[in-house]
Amino acid sequence: MSAVTCELCPRGCVIPEGGAGDCRIRVNLGGRLRATTYGRPSAVHIDPMEKKPLYHFLPGTPVFSIATAGCNLHCLNCQNWQLSQRGGEEMEQVYRLDPPELIRAAKAEGCRSIAYTYSDPVVFYEYVYDSAELARQEGLANCFVTAAYINQHPLRQLCRLLDAANADLKAFDDGFYRQVNGATLKPVLDALVTMREEGVWLEVTNLVIPTLNDDPAVIRRLARWVRAELGAQTPLHFSRFQPQYRMRNLPPTPVETLDRARREAQDAGLEHVYVGNVLGHAGNSTYCPRDGTLLIGRVGFMITDYALTADGRCPSCNERVPGVWRSADLSGDRR
Amino acid sequence: MTTTAERGPVRQGRRRALGLITGLGALGLAIPWPRRPSQARPVQRLPSLREADYYRPHELAG
Ligand code: SF4
Ligand SMILES: [Zn+2]
Repeated sequence: MSAVTCELCPRGCVIPEGGAGDCRIRVNLGGRLRATTYGRPSAVHIDPMEKKPLYHFLPGTPVFSIATAGCNLHCLNCQNWQLSQRGGEEMEQVYRLDPPELIRAAKAEGCRSIAYTYSDPVVFYEYVYDSAELARQEGLANCFVTAAYINQHPLRQLCRLLDAANADLKAFDDGFYRQVNGATLKPVLDALVTMREEGVWLEVTNLVIPTLNDDPAVIRRLARWVRAELGAQTPLHFSRFQPQYRMRNLPPTPVETLDRARREAQDAGLEHVYVGNVLGHAGNSTYCPRDGTLLIGRVGFMITDYALTADGRCPSCNERVPGVWRSADLSGDRR
Repeated sequence: MTTTAERGPVRQGRRRALGLITGLGALGLAIPWPRRPSQARPVQRLPSLREADYYRPHELAG
């Protein structure tokens, strides 16, 4: 019997012949590990970039978004558990979209980028990698929306093909990761630093869950870490929790909690701190960090104001706001 | 498999949401999201047997 060890994510599953990894979709068949959802997404949508959320990356553009079944985390509050906590064979819908068809479909829909998202794209790594390579050749950008629970070597390889990422930092608390997500904190922190080092445009999301990770001290530590390790210009999104899946016992996050988190992060020196999942909140919009001018107004996923100059500057004080504002800003071979 | 009948309320909810979106659309706010790509169609289950990257034979301890 030949078992294999999967080295893609920090779980390091040892998979006996005929068995599957913890993510359900990587299977040992005859002593070889197979990626069973390669080219077989179960979610295919065209979303606004703002939904990822990526607020400083090609704003207002449609992004062709895909996911397969399976996930290497098991968050009690998962919003997409019908997709993430199942194997491919349990899905009601499976699309046949091998990388060339995926790129073709994205282009036909007028999308300038592809997002690997919804469940966690780490587990359908090979599909992401091949698609991203082809997308790059065809002039499309690659966005990775992830919990960043991945080993260093595969991540570094992939980063060369990624243009943008929104990574969750679920709490600055290893106990929380173990209890709520079935994961650990350290590999996530390392992954975020790697994405930053590799030049991927990075935005970070923290879903604030009442009583579990809303302690101001924990939020402050998180914000200080982002500032120190990723930089003051890294956008940080505080997102509102909604009772879901196995966590229906808690209420939605009060808006005051999100306001407080935003202030904490701003006090920690972060320049772009957002509030998500609260329609019409002032924290949905982008402001000049120097003089407070409204630069991009947002309501939900809609852009209601756009005052940035073509090269991404504040029209009042000329401050350059970090981000990828147009395709021409995609750096070097990322263009 | 969920039957169509079982999915009734979900569909209705969706229709209501669609109505709201159309209503907002009439107010001149364009909400083109989210939409389904016209190219992609669901297929029967077709597990892919692509060989995975990043694995090695497991060595037994001891
Ligand atoms: S990617 Fe899946 S199979 Fe591989 S170690 Fe992680 S959970 Fe296990
Ligand atoms: Zn300014």
